[in-house]
Amino acid sequence: MGVISLDRLTVRLGGRTVLDGLTGELRGHAIGLLGPNGAGKSTLINTLLGFHEPAGGGARVLGLDARVDRMRIRQSVGYMPENDSFIGNMNGVRFVRYMAELAGLPPAEALERAHEALFYVGLGEVRYRKISTYSLGMKQLIKLAQGLAHGPKLLILDEPTNGLDPTARQRMIQLIKDIRKQGGTHLLISSHLLRDIDETCDEVLILNKGRIAAISNIEEERRSHRQFIEMEVAGSTEAFAKKMQSLGCECASFAGGRVKLVMPDALSAQDLYVTAAEFGVQIRRIQQRRDSLEDIFLRAMDYEGGRVDHVGV
Amino acid sequence: MSVFDHDYRPYEGRLTSLRSRPLVLARYALHEAWSSKITIGLFVLALLPTLVELVIVYVADNPVAQALIMRGSPSLTIGELFFLKVLETQCWFALVLAAWIAPRLVSFDLGDNALPILLSHPISRFGYLLGKFLALALSLAYVTLIPCLTLFVYQSYASPQPWAMGHLPLAAGIVAGAAVWIVLLSMVGLAVSAWVKWRVIATGAIFAVVFVPAGVGGIASAILRTRWGLLLNIPVVMSELWQRMLGAPTIMNPRLELPTSAMVAVLLLACLLCAAVLNARIRAREVVRG
Repeated sequence: MGVISLDRLTVRLGGRTVLDGLTGELRGHAIGLLGPNGAGKSTLINTLLGFHEPAGGGARVLGLDARVDRMRIRQSVGYMPENDSFIGNMNGVRFVRYMAELAGLPPAEALERAHEALFYVGLGEVRYRKISTYSLGMKQLIKLAQGLAHGPKLLILDEPTNGLDPTARQRMIQLIKDIRKQGGTHLLISSHLLRDIDETCDEVLILNKGRIAAISNIEEERRSHRQFIEMEVAGSTEAFAKKMQSLGCECASFAGGRVKLVMPDALSAQDLYVTAAEFGVQIRRIQQRRDSLEDIFLRAMDYEGGRVDHVGV
Repeated sequence: MSVFDHDYRPYEGRLTSLRSRPLVLARYALHEAWSSKITIGLFVLALLPTLVELVIVYVADNPVAQALIMRGSPSLTIGELFFLKVLETQCWFALVLAAWIAPRLVSFDLGDNALPILLSHPISRFGYLLGKFLALALSLAYVTLIPCLTLFVYQSYASPQPWAMGHLPLAAGIVAGAAVWIVLLSMVGLAVSAWVKWRVIATGAIFAVVFVPAGVGGIASAILRTRWGLLLNIPVVMSELWQRMLGAPTIMNPRLELPTSAMVAVLLLACLLCAAVLNARIRAREVVRG
């Protein structure tokens, strides 16, 4: 069973088709939802939560129909909205407890979990302060805390690093990685930042203009590019390249001592260094290819050598 | 999760039933409403007339006290007209209380954009409104239904003659009259608070919704020489209804009397209008058209 299944999902808002016949199945543990601003990421999340009625098709979350089982979906899901969303004149612990009680926890358990969630996200020391006095980073963290307090099976994070400074962003990414590592909760992370998705997700759904541009397993993509190596060498480049070919590499050499290799699984980096030493070749630069998500994204966006607007890397 | 380990663990304990979730909202809303000193002040103010009325009931039912205090004035009678005055007084205090409390219940949520987070939990829009409605209605019952019924019970206890059994329809009238006003005020209060995000303006708007149509209705009645303009006058409509519910003698010019069905229809229409406003405004997401 997929975490999220989409079956020709179409959503119209204000007379405009925002999601257009989305079909696909997402099974990853941490799913990234990527796309430029206005691609339909937030609309898809809102539809999964039952805020928008699909005009056609359907969606299933954790096997539950988003049209029929809204309450059961919301019971199993924690949601961190993109924009500020809190009750400013409540203190942190009261707000998180309130949300946990709404999610069905009895009052005593809700209070206990509220304290725990606030300590977990790093707001333990400020939990008795009014939320209206929190900094932007703290407000993001308290949204995460309320989404976690009731122990959801799926945690939906809409632009979790929005407006955070580098330290706060790193803290948020670390928390997300930590939740993912614990294994009990699936994650759906919407972002227009490739780096956030790249660091936290194992599967990505790319939306563009309300359509699915790509669904990709980042882990597999990473594995497939693991042995793709670019080198700059000095010495007998041709001989080195031929030797590497004879060892089973796909190899191409270019002017200026540049060599590109796709290594078979049987070879390791050590073989590369040994062969280079054999031929007296000096390795001046070596780079394993790692920006696979960017490649996937650019392909999906029909990148034609120009700049992709609104998408940060 | 644990405070000491700072680890995350899923929750595996028991859950409350889905039907009880609006009560969570009502509990938090009541706490929010009554955490203000102004609310407490208004509540105390609203109970002062009840204290005076308790004394009146005591004096009316005590011949010695009556002889000492009234000294030849006409004797006090505790009946339909007395309870009509009590109900009217308390209901206007309820309007003041509603104008203060209702914006606290909804405007805070709208002002901080809390609806997406609230409604992402297993509670429907109806459940959300039901919770807020219960909190407001209960707060208004504290100053209307409960004082009136307390006076009724005290009169039943203090009356030297058997009184309660003969006046049971009066008790039913008090309950029905207060309930109609509480429902109307709660609906108007919630709708105005959902429409106007600024609390102070929302408070003013609640008074305006009650009194401005009365002026418009008065003008329409005068120009068109008709009694139907009075239907827009909520204070008059409610006074008429309460008088009929309690079985009190009429004090209005018979020529201007309105049919009960028309008055009920107007109140129903007002409630439907409020429901439509709430349906339009209480959403997790705003849809931008075009």
